[in-house]
Amino acid sequence: MALLTVENLHVSYGGVTAVRGLSLSVNEGEVVSILGPNGAGKSSTLAVIAGGVAPRAGRVTYAGQDITGGRAEEIARSGISLVPEGRHVFATLTVEENLAVGTYMHKGKADIAGVLERFPRLKERRDFPAGRLSGGEQQMLVIARAMLAKPKLMLVDEPSLGLAPLIIDQVYDILLDLRRQGMSLLIVEQSTSRILKHADRIYVLRGGAVQLEDTAANLRDGEAIKRAYFGFDEGAA
Amino acid sequence: MSRFQTPLLLIFGMVVLGGLASLIGSEQLNFTLTEMLIRMVVVIGIYLFVGNSGVMSFGHIGFMSIGAYATAWMTLPPEWKQVMLTGLPVVFQDNTYPFPVAVLASGLAAAGVALFLGIAIMRLSGLAASIATFAFLAIVFSVYSNWESVTGGTSSVIGIPTVVGPWIAVGFVCGAIVAAHAFQVSRVGLMLRASRDDEVAAQSSAVEIVRMRLLAFVASAFLVGVGGALYAHFLGVLTTDAFYLALSFVTLSMLVVGGLQSLTGAVVGTLAVTLIVEVLRGLERGLDLGASHIALPRGSQEIGLGLALALVLIFRPSGLSGGKEAAWPRKRG
Amino acid sequence: MISLIQNLIDALSLGSLYALVALGIGLLFGILRLINLAHGDFITVGAYALIVPSTEAVAQLAIGGFHPILLLPSIALIVVILALLTDALVFRPLRRAAQPSLMIASFAVSYIIQNGLILIYGARPKNLNLWPALTGQIALGELRLPTLQIVTIVTTLVLMIGLALFLKRTSYGVQMRAAAEDFRMARYLGVRGNLVIGMAFAISGVLAAVVSLLFLSQTGSLETGLGVPLALFGLVAVVIGGMGSLVGAVVGGFLVGAIVTLLQAYLPVEMRSFRDAFAFAFVIVILLWRPSGLIRAKAFDQRV
Repeated sequence: MALLTVENLHVSYGGVTAVRGLSLSVNEGEVVSILGPNGAGKSSTLAVIAGGVAPRAGRVTYAGQDITGGRAEEIARSGISLVPEGRHVFATLTVEENLAVGTYMHKGKADIAGVLERFPRLKERRDFPAGRLSGGEQQMLVIARAMLAKPKLMLVDEPSLGLAPLIIDQVYDILLDLRRQGMSLLIVEQSTSRILKHADRIYVLRGGAVQLEDTAANLRDGEAIKRAYFGFDEGAA
Repeated sequence: MSRFQTPLLLIFGMVVLGGLASLIGSEQLNFTLTEMLIRMVVVIGIYLFVGNSGVMSFGHIGFMSIGAYATAWMTLPPEWKQVMLTGLPVVFQDNTYPFPVAVLASGLAAAGVALFLGIAIMRLSGLAASIATFAFLAIVFSVYSNWESVTGGTSSVIGIPTVVGPWIAVGFVCGAIVAAHAFQVSRVGLMLRASRDDEVAAQSSAVEIVRMRLLAFVASAFLVGVGGALYAHFLGVLTTDAFYLALSFVTLSMLVVGGLQSLTGAVVGTLAVTLIVEVLRGLERGLDLGASHIALPRGSQEIGLGLALALVLIFRPSGLSGGKEAAWPRKRG
Repeated sequence: MISLIQNLIDALSLGSLYALVALGIGLLFGILRLINLAHGDFITVGAYALIVPSTEAVAQLAIGGFHPILLLPSIALIVVILALLTDALVFRPLRRAAQPSLMIASFAVSYIIQNGLILIYGARPKNLNLWPALTGQIALGELRLPTLQIVTIVTTLVLMIGLALFLKRTSYGVQMRAAAEDFRMARYLGVRGNLVIGMAFAISGVLAAVVSLLFLSQTGSLETGLGVPLALFGLVAVVIGGMGSLVGAVVGGFLVGAIVTLLQAYLPVEMRSFRDAFAFAFVIVILLWRPSGLIRAKAFDQRV
């Protein structure tokens, strides 16, 4: 059953159109990835789903409810957690306070200690201002923070951007772990290699619309992706 | 021809306005009209900087104050100055200068101060620059209110020749329109507007932008200083607190109500706000409806203006002009 | 020595007032990026709320006649309601507006409140001696300390510690700090934007109410523009301290208090009336020397 469906989405900023007529879906327990070059409309799509940007047209349905144009905080509370691109830690708050922000929407005590066990580096630095962490540690922190929001669906925007390969592996280990616990993931990436291994299904975006949609298994050789990504004609390639 | 249609249209409008007023010939109307036209010079002056650079200024009424007092120093009778403004330099104390010289010099005085201030603050970010202009306004107010021997301090300066009537004011408004239009279609004006619209472009040549902003700041202070001088020669009386927050608020309202981004906005906004204020002022004086006399309490006029400004900000952020310039109606093809 | 200590106390008590004003302005700036020029008018309303609304020349105490235990919360409540109303009616519809528009809107609010006060209370200043007991002095050996100054300093300290504890120790406080740093991200984590902004307005209102009582006790005179210079100095303090940093606002407030007191004490007599001009000129100098203020807020840097 589809947990999230996006139908015929249009987004524009001022006069510039970022997304035109995009549709996609994420099923329960699935890892779906959106690939595409810069400016393809990937981040805009995530921002609309999470309520950060109001679409010009289209519909977003989550768990059977229409959440199009809803407020970001309400969407977060309904179980969608966004990890935006660029590691938005609260720099002057401590690591522990950063994590706490993710838990306030749940009345009961969230398990900060438990999550810290999963991230030993963060545990060591729990009283540090988050701004003083390294890039990799910050990425871990935003994912840990999103986990504490206990979402059903996590939207992750370019988790590997600017990180060393070893750290990227760790990030993906954690994401796959989440999936094993039954969470659905929608991951935006620019580089294809890793995501092909881990995703169930892939959408390739270019110019604000879906160019290609298939299971990761069918796309493993990467040729079709390249064509969709760069916009070569079937015949010309 | 089409290049000049905006200033021509605006000038035409002002001349018609002046003509209508002299046909009606009411003294009250002439007074209101003249005051409005002088404020229009000031608002166009503020627009020249704010509209083109995109940086908000809260300090321009300081330049108006500088212009107004400068012309007073030059045109008051020497006997009066020697008694009341003992701190003035001897050149001013012993002489009087004709109106055109005094007005020009007043504009230049304001422009000179703007050059000095602008060199310092134009390189600041938009927000910091706005706050600095606010500080400037507070400095001018504080200095002029306390410098008894030169400004009369908190007491009024009286006896400035009142030579400005509606037609002189119309003339200066036309001059201001031409100047502001010439600036905004000039190479510097166009580049500055582009930098306002596009942050990235602004960063690519920061030094250039600062220089262009400075130019706009100085030119705009000149117009506002001239406006101040006209104001002095219209009222004949000056007090320092006339050039502080209240007037800043009224002139900024005019600019915002009309639309910050166009010259037409500055003109239309001044007209619209004057209209609002006059109607409310009339209601404060009271209406006779049959046997009963209905009047709004004192303060309603200002509250009404404040509300009007808030409503425009919320519902029509680009102002009445919508950021567009006046143009002949064109056939759409 | 005595006069030095006296000057120090003067500086501290004046700085306390400015620091409280600066906190009120800085808090809203931190979260909304709003420079609230109407903050001074919140203070004015707090002072006027003490008396019976009328245009009579003589002020009649209303809430001002209450016992302090009742008086403080009543005034605070009135100012908080005013602050929340301002947000709901003016600033909430402008959430997506550009910064200059916000600043102009706050200018409009200020203008409306001031003239509203004229409408209700008349334009003439009124004398009001709120707490005569506070005008005495406390003698410490040779040193005579005005009671009011000590009360001002102590009150400020208490409020600051309270605010610091709130921001550090409570979940709402942490949410406010998170929102101040990255408003959008905080909302993505379920922090309710309007709630946090409402809290900021409310706290700002409480701070304004306290300032109005302290300031009125000092001057003994009600005037519809009484908050304006306070707001200007508070704004100066926020800029000097570093926009977006609450610690900066406090530091800036005390610094401005010290500067003004020093200028008052040590400027030649004929220059003293230009004290305010020097203080404002100092802002421009600080802006030129350190455009982001003494204590630099990271979040603000990134965004501007």
